[in-house]
Amino acid sequence: MFNLIRRDVILQKWQLIIFIPCVAFFIMMGSHPALTFLVAAIFIPFNAFFYDEKAETNILLNSLPYTRKTIIASRYIGAIVYMGLGIGVTCLALLIANTSYTLTDIAIASGLFFVFASFTFPLFYILKPGYISTVVMLSFLVLAGIGPRTVLYLIDKLPVITDFINSLSMSVIYTGSTLIVMFLYVISWVFTTIVYQRKAF
Amino acid sequence: MEHVVELKNVTKNFKGFSVENMDLQVKKGFVTGFIGANGAGKSTTIKMIMNLLKPDAGEVKVFGLDFKTHEKEIKERIGFVYDSNVFYEGMNLKDIKRVVGPAYKQWDDHLFYQYVEQFELPLNKSLKKFSKGMQMKASLAVALSHRAELIIMDEPTAGLDPIFRRELLDLLQEIMIDRNRTIFFSTHITTDLERVADYIAFINKGELLFNQSMLDVADNYALVKGSVELLDRDTEKSLLHVHRASTGFEALTDNIQAVKSMFGDSVVIERASMEDIMYYMKGGMQHV
Repeated sequence: MFNLIRRDVILQKWQLIIFIPCVAFFIMMGSHPALTFLVAAIFIPFNAFFYDEKAETNILLNSLPYTRKTIIASRYIGAIVYMGLGIGVTCLALLIANTSYTLTDIAIASGLFFVFASFTFPLFYILKPGYISTVVMLSFLVLAGIGPRTVLYLIDKLPVITDFINSLSMSVIYTGSTLIVMFLYVISWVFTTIVYQRKAF
Repeated sequence: MEHVVELKNVTKNFKGFSVENMDLQVKKGFVTGFIGANGAGKSTTIKMIMNLLKPDAGEVKVFGLDFKTHEKEIKERIGFVYDSNVFYEGMNLKDIKRVVGPAYKQWDDHLFYQYVEQFELPLNKSLKKFSKGMQMKASLAVALSHRAELIIMDEPTAGLDPIFRRELLDLLQEIMIDRNRTIFFSTHITTDLERVADYIAFINKGELLFNQSMLDVADNYALVKGSVELLDRDTEKSLLHVHRASTGFEALTDNIQAVKSMFGDSVVIERASMEDIMYYMKGGMQHV
């Protein structure tokens, strides 16, 4: 398992050089820290998936002494590890750039990362190779474009929901959303494992 | 004799193609050549042995173990060489060693570098810049560096120039000095088999036609040539496939004694090459 997770660093060593300038760019552009954290969180895990999209990679991984369960587990656990690292590095970068951020920014970014990952990771094993990266990139851009507006619209039109959320204490909101996000991630993990176990290479 | 690979009644169906009720055994300590035309089912069978494909019915056992319960243990002991490069193209051999090596308990860095030197492979050049032959050698170096007991190769010689092909086959012979090792390799090039194989498994349209030692194949099959007038319903029974031409007939038999007693000296009996056997068994002549 550890070897499979470590593999991403070996594979992406050149892309990692782009990682820092990419984060620096977002900071310099004055992006909201939550967005910078989200981009940093997404960078390594999704890059890893783009690498594994090819059929040959799956033939290789499945010919090595790994079970299919382990391969998928390494993806889901690896994503958490690399998300953590990405966020850690961004924290440092923000400190160096003297930009303030809050724990809420990190919470929002990691929450959004988990939701986005939960829906897109299975796609890498369902859709035809070659299309997946495009679909995922487009959906990220579309979500980033219309997501906030949709939320604002909903807040405006459905006061019931906002009233309900306002009535909850902060700790309930944090715990509740963490549980929902983790639940989604686990469901996605189980689903992907089932899909992958049935796959033929 | 111990079998390293055992397929029992294995069936796999695809649209328009199927492998049906295949029984195949690969004997320990020998080179078994798996031969068949393109599309005969060689890669499908190999993928089932590697657990990349699951059979619809039947049982696949490797080292006497089942993939359901012993997948990791089995794969620890298998080295694989596929017909195309499965390693990350942009990586060099050093990085591939870093990714693949730790996956195996028995991985030996020293051995890996020894093979890299022996096969004259560059360590820092990306694999996409390797020639087909070099890619094959790189796969073989990886397979040998974790002391694989069973080496499975899917068309390792396809697309190689004759010199490189011969070099690879010589290498296989060298590897087999260790009699604990077993090689199972598919090919559609019959001369490969004559050079290195101890056993031959012949597959045609998803059906295993025979799995015999090279000696048995040479003893059992022969080419029969004679005049067309000699053929009738009775005499044809001793022949597997017959090709008639205005100049005479040519046929394959797996019953040399019957042919001798039936035709006597009126026909010429010659040794059948693997290519002859494959050609006739596939029913090639019927289309000519």
